[in-house]
Amino acid sequence: MKPVDLARKLRREAALDPAALDRGKAVLMAAIRQEVEPTRRPTIVPQVPYEDIRAALSFLERAFGFREIPTARFVGADGELLHATVEFGNSLIGVGGQGHHGAISPMSGGVESQFISVHVDDIDAHYQRAVAAGARIADELRDHSWGERTYWALDLEGHRWRFGQPIREVPQSESRGRPGQE
Amino acid sequence: MSSPSDAEVISRSLGEPEAFGLIYDRHAASLLRFLGRRAGAKVAEGLVGELFRIAFERRRTFDASRASALPWLYGIGSNLLLKHRRGEARWLRASARMATGLEAAEARASAAALDARLLFPRVADAIEALPDGDREALLLFAWEDLSYQSVAEALELPIGTVRSRLNRARARLRELLEANGKSKVRSR
Repeated sequence: MKPVDLARKLRREAALDPAALDRGKAVLMAAIRQEVEPTRRPTIVPQVPYEDIRAALSFLERAFGFREIPTARFVGADGELLHATVEFGNSLIGVGGQGHHGAISPMSGGVESQFISVHVDDIDAHYQRAVAAGARIADELRDHSWGERTYWALDLEGHRWRFGQPIREVPQSESRGRPGQE
Repeated sequence: MSSPSDAEVISRSLGEPEAFGLIYDRHAASLLRFLGRRAGAKVAEGLVGELFRIAFERRRTFDASRASALPWLYGIGSNLLLKHRRGEARWLRASARMATGLEAAEARASAAALDARLLFPRVADAIEALPDGDREALLLFAWEDLSYQSVAEALELPIGTVRSRLNRARARLRELLEANGKSKVRSR
């Protein structure tokens, strides 16, 4: 027997799971995706409390186009949805249960302590979508002297959202008023 | 129209990363079997995706003058296996036990049979004890049936170095064969 044939006697096939190839490909494709769209991990992630997280997720998608990241769901042992994350543009927003970490939904707290400002690409279409989904408009869609078109909406639990899109460049000297002061 | 070579696909993937998926589709099954032969199913299944992820991240370093990416991928796999030497050693010892069983069954019909019970565990030990580079050259050649040229590409060595490594590994195995022959004579 030749020496190399001796080594060949110990060659043995493993019992491989055919699904391993799919799992391996998923690892590769995740790396490819990461290069195509670099990981977005915003430095600041607003956490917004709701009494009904599932209803909130459904509304935020229908009205504002915020898409939930399914893999980011946090579900309790009893199946209760404790926290979810939605993405929009290059940003993330956490959607959690009210009362956790001291945050209260305006629905039970009766006050709004802050609002969230969102930049959109097509403000008119966004406005139509929000109205169609039943968002309450707090301030109508209109143009501002500082070169922005905005509207304000309240979501199903009363959180206040400001949507805006730049419509033209305005020189500092010409500008009256400031964004957020409309 | 003929399908693009691996080199063409990898070159395209520099601008269109998704194109690299085709390299996986072409070679992942071979590499998965390679990893399985070396370290068993569990390790192989955990490593195959990692191997291609590393290949994807290093695709700029692929030598486009080589049409096939297979030796390059084997080389990445060989490096990965270095981190799983214990799993590999276990798998090899188990393979030696199984080979012993098979050989014993054949031996009854063959007067020239080797004393497999003694020999194969020693072969496993000898392969284990080879320097990493020699073992890698031997197993790519003997188990994967790579040519000298492909082994050289996989290990990024001159072909002369591959030849000398294989010669060293052969010499070691030949010693075992001869010792086994003698022990058989002595035992009679």
